[in-house]
Amino acid sequence: MKVLVAVKRVVDYNVKVRPKSDGTDVDLNNVKMAINPFCEIAVEEAVRLKEKGVATEIIAVSIGPKVAQEQIRTALALGADRGILVETEEDVQPLGIAKVLKAVVDKEQPQLVIMGKQAIDGDNNQTGQMLAALTGMAQGTFASEVAVDGDSVAVTREIDGGLQTVKLALPAVVTTDLRLNEPRYASLPNIMKAKKKPLDTLTPDELGIDVTPRVKTLKVEPPAERQAGIKVADVAELVEKLKNEAKVI
Amino acid sequence: MSSANLHSSPERVIAELQAIVGEDKVRCDADTLHSHGRDWTKAWEPAPLAVVFPRSTEHVQAIVKLANAEQLAVVPSGGRTGLSGGAVAANGEVVVSFDYMNQLSDFNAIDRTVRCQAGVITEQLQHFADEQGLYYPVDFASAGSSQIGGNISTNAGGIKVLRWGMTRDWVAGLTVVTGAGDILELNNGLLKNNAGYDLRQLFIGAEGTLGLICEATMQLTRQPKNLTAFVLGVENFDGIMNLFNRFQSEMDLTAFEFFSEQALQKVVEHSKLPRPFESTCPYYALLEFEKLNDETEEQAMALFEACVEEGWVLDGVMSQSLEQLKNLWRLREDISETISRWTPYKNDISTVISKVPNFLSEVENIVNSEYPDFEIIWFGHIGDGNLHLNILKPDSLDKSEFFEQCGKVSLAVFDIVQRFGGSVSAEHGVGLLKKDYLQYSRSPEEIALMRHVKQVFDPNGVMNPGKIFD
Ligand SMILES: Cc1cc2nc3c(=O)[nH]c(=O)nc-3n(C[C@H](O)[C@H](O)[C@H](O)COP(=O)(O)OP(=O)(O)OC[C@H]3O[C@@H](n4cnc5c(N)ncnc54)[C@H](O)[C@@H]3O)c2cc1C
Repeated sequence: MKVLVAVKRVVDYNVKVRPKSDGTDVDLNNVKMAINPFCEIAVEEAVRLKEKGVATEIIAVSIGPKVAQEQIRTALALGADRGILVETEEDVQPLGIAKVLKAVVDKEQPQLVIMGKQAIDGDNNQTGQMLAALTGMAQGTFASEVAVDGDSVAVTREIDGGLQTVKLALPAVVTTDLRLNEPRYASLPNIMKAKKKPLDTLTPDELGIDVTPRVKTLKVEPPAERQAGIKVADVAELVEKLKNEAKVI
Repeated sequence: MSSANLHSSPERVIAELQAIVGEDKVRCDADTLHSHGRDWTKAWEPAPLAVVFPRSTEHVQAIVKLANAEQLAVVPSGGRTGLSGGAVAANGEVVVSFDYMNQLSDFNAIDRTVRCQAGVITEQLQHFADEQGLYYPVDFASAGSSQIGGNISTNAGGIKVLRWGMTRDWVAGLTVVTGAGDILELNNGLLKNNAGYDLRQLFIGAEGTLGLICEATMQLTRQPKNLTAFVLGVENFDGIMNLFNRFQSEMDLTAFEFFSEQALQKVVEHSKLPRPFESTCPYYALLEFEKLNDETEEQAMALFEACVEEGWVLDGVMSQSLEQLKNLWRLREDISETISRWTPYKNDISTVISKVPNFLSEVENIVNSEYPDFEIIWFGHIGDGNLHLNILKPDSLDKSEFFEQCGKVSLAVFDIVQRFGGSVSAEHGVGLLKKDYLQYSRSPEEIALMRHVKQVFDPNGVMNPGKIFD
């Protein structure tokens, strides 16, 4: 079974981002970039399927600038077999990404597409669902467990207040939640081997897809600073403040 | 010196302290006496007379003057993470805590310096530097609690010494109150200042025996770029040193640490962290560097390959994100905390790097042959020639018996340290814990001069008596 995993290059989870001074975007100058944590979980899941003998080939695909090759190489080091970069300098939004992925799906005909439930930069949580709709594939979102059985896959989903297991006919799109697995480290020998794995580059044009943004960002600004707490002398003062300042009682 | 020698009654002394810092900044309740009367060692029963919380250098000066007048012993207290019993008050001393002197001020972007009151937490300075786009490189597992005053007084080292040196290298100026009660402004932030003796240096690493550090001008530096870690599995100790030499000869490493499989096992179990890779190896090395571009990565990979071919390295991983960098570091940094449940007896020994392999194998032989029943956890700042030898207390032994036996092991270990010209305290200081062993690292002449120096700054012996030497 062929598995396609989507990986996105995003600001590292541990970086404290700051808006640009003109408020047009966040400042990405000299900022550490990494593979989106949910995508990392998707890669790990695909690799585990391969180790179980379920998956036969894993293709890692990324849509982004040339440097996004780094994140594809990471996926290759973790165990993907080959990579595809759909190269564009455009800020591609979920619908654009879903359309590009559909074109890749048409070309590669994977049985399973595994991707993050969202990327930690835009927090959109849309692409997987859009891809399923565009391709007519079944969808299992927010997966915390994935079990392939013949021509179907059982996906345990994290929903409000519990878990829900759905059974999907393959081919299907699965989006990952945090508890699905704990990704491994890329080993140095595998990082070296990854350098020799094939990595093809395409463009949205070649795939016949228009990725022009449809949504315009008006302004980016930091959240209001939290005020420091104060100590009150006694209960009376506390009550007074809750009444007159906070106006909650 | 203890409260028994006081000129006035304890009540009177406490009233005088209150007159200096205010009533609510002198505490005598059992909880505070206990928490502020000791450090991380927890081997001595705390019994201070009182804990005072000054808010200014003038408060500190007045306290020291009072101490001289009353024959009152003073124990400076920082974040109380010290590992040598330096901040222990077990004899009716007054503890001077810097908890309320924690302001940063006078940041200078051109000099890249900032004024810190002694009670600024190490991590607070690191974060402040980060916000200015700069870096304060002294770092270790207790940075979230230790204070700049404590760091300076112990000349703290940590995990970045290889590249950035010890706390000493980052102190551009000091404001101190000497044991005699004088306020000294030392060095004023100057980079170059050869006008006579540099008294600042004497206060760095003095463990509060010469006076109290009230404020410091700390140097900051540029931020490192894209720090990246390797954790490598290594067959034996020689492998670690060979690999260290090979990497150091071609790259500027920012850290080089090691730990044993036993240490890793305990941390993985305790912190629920993933192992770096599936295979188990006797030792692990953690090395860190700035990954400036693809070239640095390729160079590091080529060095890794060469080390594998030599048979020194068995396996390895590289961090791909800051999260992974953090988690790989935790494998090393969580060791101290993890093993604290076994009341470990800690030795913090060093030698010059070239002698480390022979040094380590001799120490290991002694410990294994004399005390085969003790579990030993090895880790340390191996790139600095600094080894932490931790002996875990078997549950069957009680604390005093265990420490007594360890004391004997220490004598054998320190014999080796002495023969290698090493140090019995590489970075934790002497305090109470190591004072009986000072002579293994310092000549009688040196110790005599140290006593003279103490006499000069602290003529009445009020400052942290009984620490470093009696
Ligand atoms: C988990 C853990 C990991 C550690 N790792 C390292 C490490 O890697 N490297 C390292 O070097 N140390 C390490 N330490 C030891 C310790 O954190 C350092 O020695 C630290 O510098 C102590 O700072 P503190 O503020 O806690 O000082 P305290 O423990 O409060 O005091 C230390 C000494 O300084 C004196 N002192 C404190 N403040 C002042 C002042 N304002 N003026 C004069 N004297 C003062 C005290 O009297 C005492 O003698 C570690 C400790 C722990 C618990």
